[in-house]
Amino acid sequence: MHGVGIAERIGQVTRGAFTVKPGSLFPALRRLEQRGSIAGEWAASENNRRARYYKLTRAGRKQLVEEKTHWRRMTSAMNWMLESEG
Amino acid sequence: MFRRLGHLFDYIFRRRRLERELDEELNSSFEIMVNRLIRQGVPAAEARRRARLDFEGTDFVKDRVRDQMTGATLDTWFQDVRYATRGFWKRPSFTAIAVLTLALGIGVNAAIFSVVYAVLLKPLPYERPDQLAMIWSDFETIAAHRAPTAGPIVGEIEHRTRLFQEISAMQTGTGTFQASAGEPDVEQVKSVQVSPNFLSLLGVHPALGRTFTFDEQAGGRPAIVLSDSVWRRRFGADPNIVGKAVRFNGGSFTVVGVLPEDFRLRLAVEIPWDIEVFQPFQYNIYQAPRSQYYLRVLGRMNPGVRVEQAQQEMTRIAAEIRGGYAQYQKDNLKLNVVGMQADGARDIRTTLIALFAGAGFVMLICCVNVANLLLARAQGRRKEISLRSALGASRARILRQLLTEGLILCLAAGIAGLGLGWAALHGLLRLQPQALVRVGVIDLNWPVLGFVAAVSMASVLLFALAPAIELARWDLSTTLRESGRGSHTSLRRGVRAILIVSEIAAGFILVIGAGLMIRTFEKIQQVRPGFDAQGVLTFSMNVPFARNRSYAEALTFMRDWRSQLATLPGVVAVGAISHLPLDNPVWYSPFRPEGVSDNRGSAFLADHYAITPGFLSAMGTRLLEGRDFGNQDQAGGQQVAIVDDWLASSMWPGQSAIGKRIESEHFTETGIVPVWAEIVGVVEHVRTHELSKKLRPEIFLPFEQSARTPMVYAVRSRVDPLSLTAPIREMLRKAAPAIPLAKVRPMTAYLDSAKAPVNFTALLAGIFGALALLLAGVGIYGVVQYSVSTRMHEMGVRMALGARGSDLKRMILKEGLILTTIGMMLGMGGAFAVSREFSGLTYGIKPVDPVSYGAAIVVTFAAALIGCWRPAWRAATANPVDAIRLE
Repeated sequence: MHGVGIAERIGQVTRGAFTVKPGSLFPALRRLEQRGSIAGEWAASENNRRARYYKLTRAGRKQLVEEKTHWRRMTSAMNWMLESEG
Repeated sequence: MFRRLGHLFDYIFRRRRLERELDEELNSSFEIMVNRLIRQGVPAAEARRRARLDFEGTDFVKDRVRDQMTGATLDTWFQDVRYATRGFWKRPSFTAIAVLTLALGIGVNAAIFSVVYAVLLKPLPYERPDQLAMIWSDFETIAAHRAPTAGPIVGEIEHRTRLFQEISAMQTGTGTFQASAGEPDVEQVKSVQVSPNFLSLLGVHPALGRTFTFDEQAGGRPAIVLSDSVWRRRFGADPNIVGKAVRFNGGSFTVVGVLPEDFRLRLAVEIPWDIEVFQPFQYNIYQAPRSQYYLRVLGRMNPGVRVEQAQQEMTRIAAEIRGGYAQYQKDNLKLNVVGMQADGARDIRTTLIALFAGAGFVMLICCVNVANLLLARAQGRRKEISLRSALGASRARILRQLLTEGLILCLAAGIAGLGLGWAALHGLLRLQPQALVRVGVIDLNWPVLGFVAAVSMASVLLFALAPAIELARWDLSTTLRESGRGSHTSLRRGVRAILIVSEIAAGFILVIGAGLMIRTFEKIQQVRPGFDAQGVLTFSMNVPFARNRSYAEALTFMRDWRSQLATLPGVVAVGAISHLPLDNPVWYSPFRPEGVSDNRGSAFLADHYAITPGFLSAMGTRLLEGRDFGNQDQAGGQQVAIVDDWLASSMWPGQSAIGKRIESEHFTETGIVPVWAEIVGVVEHVRTHELSKKLRPEIFLPFEQSARTPMVYAVRSRVDPLSLTAPIREMLRKAAPAIPLAKVRPMTAYLDSAKAPVNFTALLAGIFGALALLLAGVGIYGVVQYSVSTRMHEMGVRMALGARGSDLKRMILKEGLILTTIGMMLGMGGAFAVSREFSGLTYGIKPVDPVSYGAAIVVTFAAALIGCWRPAWRAATANPVDAIRLE
């Protein structure tokens, strides 16, 4: 997916909770690319211009799984704590 | 990781392409957004507007993307460097003083530490030098702990030791190369006789040939090994020298090896480093007389053995030897094991440590000065830093920039310091102090430089970062608004005060040290060495004891030769001695005064000399009682002796020694025998070993009754001594062509050599003291000046309220001098504390010498006063109105 598409998709999936502006999106994409979590390549876009499309690398996929696990663990812990406070 | 490197590479070398791609991506994203809006039904122009708003500015986005790229930090770092350099360029005096001061500290320390390293720390240039040790005889009763040993003892040690894998012995002496077809001159050189394993024990690999084999000693194949210097000088660096026969010491020897050029004998201080000929013992040392102690023993310990363990074994072996030999029981022989490296540096260790400490203090002072400069500068930049912080610079960024500045300063100072250190080291070596010449090549080495650079960098960085450390405590808005007054926090003031006090303390110690060494220098100059060196020429020559000449003939030759010398024009007196004062080697052995029984053992030691008549007057040694030797004191005649005043007064206090009898060893035709002699004269003590010490009492025997070879002649003349060299050489050539003239030197050369170490130390101490004063003065000036300038407002107010200029001046001077006094007291305490350690370096003065201390106090106070004066005067003469208004 290219940059704009990613931003749109994030907005869609989170039902509007997260809107990613270009000022945050593109630096983030660059950072991930430098780390090797995503790979970008040029391809033709919908209006016949060159756009940069990104996809997860194998390392990126691994990192995704790790981040997900970590997040779930954190949120569970938070939930337990909030519930116990009563 | 390689991916990152690839990105870095792209960042540096393919920048433009990266930029283009970024541009293209952002543009296409923009268009895509517009497209999507249009597809949703938004009109084109509106779509563009909305997209543009959403995008928040292309440049802004680009900047943020760039920040994420690998290599972005590189960019910012370059920026920092440029900014820092510009800043330094704009304040040239600050930069110059800071860099030069730091470079001075680095240079001095690099030079001194290079010397310390080369002499004390660098391992000896032998194989596994940590296993090497010297084994000395120890005669406790006469406090001779490092005495040579006897042949049979060497045999016992070799037999009984388990902890030493190899033992070797050596005997120093001189040898003569005879003239032959290829070698026109007769020449006397320093030589040693050694056990065959001597060179291989040290692990020396010859440049040519080999070292000795076992069958090349005592009557076996006659072999010698040459040093590089004699090989070049006498044999023209002949590459085929190995295997050739040379005429040496009256015999023919085969050269079996030549040592490498950088070989130096670094065993003990008493052993010359520049031995030119090595030969195996020409006799069986194990059969040598038991009471003749003249061999020096070294050994290589087994791997893993420590010196303490070896010492324990030697103590046990010494006990066994005492049990086995009556002679050694009587002499109460003990053995001392000393690590070779430590032994070799004995004489200069304390001096070097003192110099190293001195250099360290100089470094401290330099760092303090630079620290103060940096602190002052930081003060002045508070506004600038607050502004940058307010504009969004993160703490990390500001810190990084300050760090960069510190690093640039360190780098510049490091390079300058390197150059300075190199120059200082070579200047130092130019003075050629003997203890350093023995060691060989001394050069700046990288560990040294690294150490010094690290130290200076640490201090600079600490103070360069100081403003950053305080950032958190500043209230930004007030800092920006503030008009530059009321600037120092109490913490800052405390740090400043501590710095100045420590600087003064260190400087004061250095000035005291300089004072002590200069006084020692004076005292040494005034020493009466027991002779008058002015106008005396000395030279050494062998006495012609040869197989084809009788003993009596040799003695006659010597008598005639002396008369011949006396006939030279300008000659006032001529005589010869077996061991010239202030020259190596010496000869000491026990003596027995009349009335003392035999089983006291070797309780009395004295330096022994054989002299011809005329020597005492040639050297200007005062005869206190009795007479000099004369022609009537011949071999076979009545046995006589002359002693020095020390021996006379300690053996026979309150009486005259004339007529008393004394037993000592004589070298006669039949060998070395103890002989009773009657004392016919008493002379003043002659300082043979060092100018600053009287080591042992002295006994002089007539040459004809105790003949030694070689003999050193002293010729006193009315003309310039060296002008006699050619006539004497010519005369000797005619009288005895086979005897070479060696070591032709004016006596003053020996005296100068003896004074050289003190001169050297005094010079360096003086330089350190002067530097300390200068730097401390500059330091005080800077600090007081800065303090005054930041308090101008306060000064103005005070003046407006009625204070006079002189009041202000007094106030500032008082503040400066209080700090100085505290520093001096600390320094004084420090000097007291270490004065005992270094008392060995001084001579003729108490370790706490009132003159030096007094002078140091005066001089340091004066420097501080000069430093405070100008700022104080400036404060006093300031216009109060201007001061109050000052921004």
